[in-house]
Amino acid sequence: MINPLVNLFSYGCIGIGLLFWFWGTAFLPSRRSVLFKLHMLSIADTLGSMAILLGLLLKRPQEWPLLVLAIISLAIWNTVLGYVLAYCSTTEATHD
Amino acid sequence: MIKPIVGHLILRLTIWLLLTSDLSGINLAMGLAIALLLPRPDGRSIAVGDWLRMLSKILWAIPLAYLEAFEMLLRPHTQEDIVLERVPPQRSSQLIFLDVFVITFTPKTIVLRYRQDYYEIHRLRPRRTGRELEGHESEE
Repeated sequence: MINPLVNLFSYGCIGIGLLFWFWGTAFLPSRRSVLFKLHMLSIADTLGSMAILLGLLLKRPQEWPLLVLAIISLAIWNTVLGYVLAYCSTTEATHD
Repeated sequence: MIKPIVGHLILRLTIWLLLTSDLSGINLAMGLAIALLLPRPDGRSIAVGDWLRMLSKILWAIPLAYLEAFEMLLRPHTQEDIVLERVPPQRSSQLIFLDVFVITFTPKTIVLRYRQDYYEIHRLRPRRTGRELEGHESEE
């Protein structure tokens, strides 16, 4: 039986994660620049998914090794691939 | 001074232990063997103080990223600009990687390019209100 306070906190984290998911991806069909969409996707993908995983971690503490690994992998890969996409989407500017 | 291999060993062994979730001696030995067999990074040793400063920066980046996300949710950030941030001198490649990671992890900033002595950062800002604009103009 999960402590009701932990349960509430867990659903709170999952709710925030879902809010970030939908809010961050809502900008994809807009006419904004690729970099603006990348900023929003870093909220949706990285922070939103990390919040959902934290919520799951509170609900299923016995699965902590895999959930912590998922959180670490999400943080590293999403951020590094965000940098790679940002790098590829801009042309080399000369500052001479 | 901490050699680069020590940091990589800790990271590799942590990932191995999380993946297998088994703390037995044999599994630990296997993880250590795999961590040592994987290609070694080359680079300069890093001072312990620099490592600790970077670790605290990474840990602080997590709540900061959520704070920035809520700020962007409550106050739309529609303005984009590019700023340059100087790289501290004699920075090792590992610390430069972690700098890029921390800057890109926070949602308001993304590193576009790393040059020899500075990072090129794409930043989102909220639109200035009329009052702020008036203040800025009077300053000029």
